[in-house]
Amino acid sequence: MFKHNYIYSLRLMLRNKQLVFWTMAFPLIMAMLFNMALSNVESSEKTEPVRIAVVNDDNFKNNQIYKEAFNELSKGDDRVFDIKYTDADNAKKLLSDEEITGYIAFKNFKPEITINRNGIKETIMTYVVNEITCQSNVMIKLAFNKLSDEISNGNYNNIQKIFEEQSQKAFNGEDGIKTVTPKNMSFVMIEYYSLIAMSCMYSGLFTLTLMNYLMANISAVGKRSTVSSARKSGMIFGSFGAAFTIQLFGLLLLYLLLIFGIRADFGSNVPYVILISLLGSAAGLSLGTAIAVLVKKSENAKFTVLIAVVMAGCFLSGMMGITMKNVIDKNAPVLNKINPEAMITDGLYSIYYYNSNERFIVDAVSLVIFSAVMLLISLRGLRRQRYDSI
Amino acid sequence: MSDKKVIEVKNLVKEYKELRAVDDISFDVYEKEIFGLLGPNGSGKSTTINSILSLLKYSSGNISIFGKEMTPDAYDIKRDIGVIFQDVAVFQELTVYENIDYFCGLYIRDKKQRKQCIEDAIELVSIGDYKKFYPKQLSGGLLRRLNIACGIAHKPKLIFLDEPTVAVDPQSRNSILEGIKKLRDDGATIVYTTHYMEEVEQICDRIIIIDKGKIIASGTRENLKKLAKIEERITVEIKKMDKEKLEGFKKLEKVTDVSYEGHTLVVSFSGGKNNIANMIDHLRNNNFSYRRVYSERPTLNDVFLELTGKELRD
Ligand SMILES: Nc1ncnc2c1ncn2[C@@H]1O[C@H](COP(=O)(O)OP(=O)(O)OP(=O)(O)O)[C@@H](O)[C@H]1O
Ligand SMILES: [Mg+2]
Repeated sequence: MFKHNYIYSLRLMLRNKQLVFWTMAFPLIMAMLFNMALSNVESSEKTEPVRIAVVNDDNFKNNQIYKEAFNELSKGDDRVFDIKYTDADNAKKLLSDEEITGYIAFKNFKPEITINRNGIKETIMTYVVNEITCQSNVMIKLAFNKLSDEISNGNYNNIQKIFEEQSQKAFNGEDGIKTVTPKNMSFVMIEYYSLIAMSCMYSGLFTLTLMNYLMANISAVGKRSTVSSARKSGMIFGSFGAAFTIQLFGLLLLYLLLIFGIRADFGSNVPYVILISLLGSAAGLSLGTAIAVLVKKSENAKFTVLIAVVMAGCFLSGMMGITMKNVIDKNAPVLNKINPEAMITDGLYSIYYYNSNERFIVDAVSLVIFSAVMLLISLRGLRRQRYDSI
Repeated sequence: MSDKKVIEVKNLVKEYKELRAVDDISFDVYEKEIFGLLGPNGSGKSTTINSILSLLKYSSGNISIFGKEMTPDAYDIKRDIGVIFQDVAVFQELTVYENIDYFCGLYIRDKKQRKQCIEDAIELVSIGDYKKFYPKQLSGGLLRRLNIACGIAHKPKLIFLDEPTVAVDPQSRNSILEGIKKLRDDGATIVYTTHYMEEVEQICDRIIIIDKGKIIASGTRENLKKLAKIEERITVEIKKMDKEKLEGFKKLEKVTDVSYEGHTLVVSFSGGKNNIANMIDHLRNNNFSYRRVYSERPTLNDVFLELTGKELRD
């Protein structure tokens, strides 16, 4: 039954124009649009430094890493920032007078960005500060390891020296950490990552369509397959397998376009990129299954619900600018913890940036949990059963 | 028809919140018969069928098919059942041939055997010219025929047809009814629901009539017709008629009812052998100027009218 359903499911999907558009064509179109819009931005905007202010209080003064980083970034002709060091009130005033794009204040060693709107300069600013944060975390960790080595050797004297050594190394790109300028990596890369995430989640439309065909309380053809002598599990696996196949094919097209056409960079850890793509697709397929079972509305209504959920997820995970992701991380971190698109985007991001696997593993495991939960809550509706009404 | 029971339904009750859609129905279906379920819209025909098929949860009752209890995972029973649902159930994305192949493939794995089955089904409903068509390119009647082909291609021993001829032109309808008779002649048992009494009269061996979820009559066509108090009905086209003259017809032998409406006189008889001759004599003797005269046997509609006081089709 698996094979029979697999083959026919492929046909049913490939001949469904609406389905093919949303799952395969739409992400490709978006990728090209992004490329057009963003390549202009990069060439024109990157040359001009972003004017920001930094609140120069004790919190900042004690923060060696950021001090150095800001110093680096506001040096030379291709500098990223023009920085005014000032107090909080003045920074606020500068921002409201539109003298600066935004200002940064430190609390508990963490930078907090204040901006007034969501534009390209704001995106660059947020992106770069994020970079410093991410890298400083890695740096601290490396320094820590080194320190504990030293301490276990009974050497307590050169803590400061070790720390400086480490940050020096980090900035020079040793130990695999990249420097914090938009030269090295396009700040728009995250948009392409979220495009991959979107494509993964849109695969839900495949399972949504196919599962509807199997449920007697939803479609007429579902009644037919339910009264047949075919085992339901075989049919479900056949459909799911076919959906997975087509999804991976669509994703491959998108990767080819992004890598060879647009020259987006996904880092060098190919197995991890493949793994996160597989897990992301599984999350999309199971989300579609859950919506097919749980939303008791017409097929069109379900379609709309899924598209809305996916687009909202894209938006929250930073497709329309990384500033949004930051706002969410700051104000409602839970949202990105349960948003599979944030997990996929973040996973790709961490593959590119970090040597450490931890963040990637958290993302991967989150996706597995998300998929499992979605499938579990769908099971009840997919079982062969007598319905209350059909 | 043999005396082997294929379906046994005992005291089936199905309640939707307020409504008793099926109200304590019991009946048996025998091997190789065409069993008719006749009833007006909303009488509970589809609900009964869907309960028998284990698609619907029913409130109480027992259902067995081929002597075994019917359940949602009774695969061995389901193997020998074919269902044609009231709503056309085909994939828009698949051609006529592919649709039949898909549904047939849910029962028959062997490709060669399946191919033969599909060809047979296509021939039975005569849609051979449309194999490569997509459903949206088919007329209503052809679509219904495809719907039937999808349900019977795997050569089931027991076939349910739920109003397969709704909204179908007379030519397609006749082709469908002939096909169903052929299936019966080839050895299948058939359960046929409809609200068209003509169809039931044309093909069913035994019939139950249901109304508001209850069986109000059952038996063979001839048995049922005895329930109608009339045996013959004579219709005459007459230009003019007055009350007094109308009364005159009631004096004829065995007359049970007389009515005149829109230039048409209808006289019902409860028996008698020479009704039409008597009628014509009466018309001549009273100098009526009349046109057409014709006589009919009672229909199941008369039975329904007799039992419920309303027409089968409102
Ligand atoms: N899902 C449902 N919820 C509530 N009531 C229902 C539901 N399905 C059917 N009914 C009611 O049950 C009764 C029987 O419906 P059913 O479809 O079995 O009739 P039917 O004889 O097949 O009619 P038709 O000739 O129109 O197909 C109707 O009164 C109908 O309104
Ligand atoms: Mg019905």
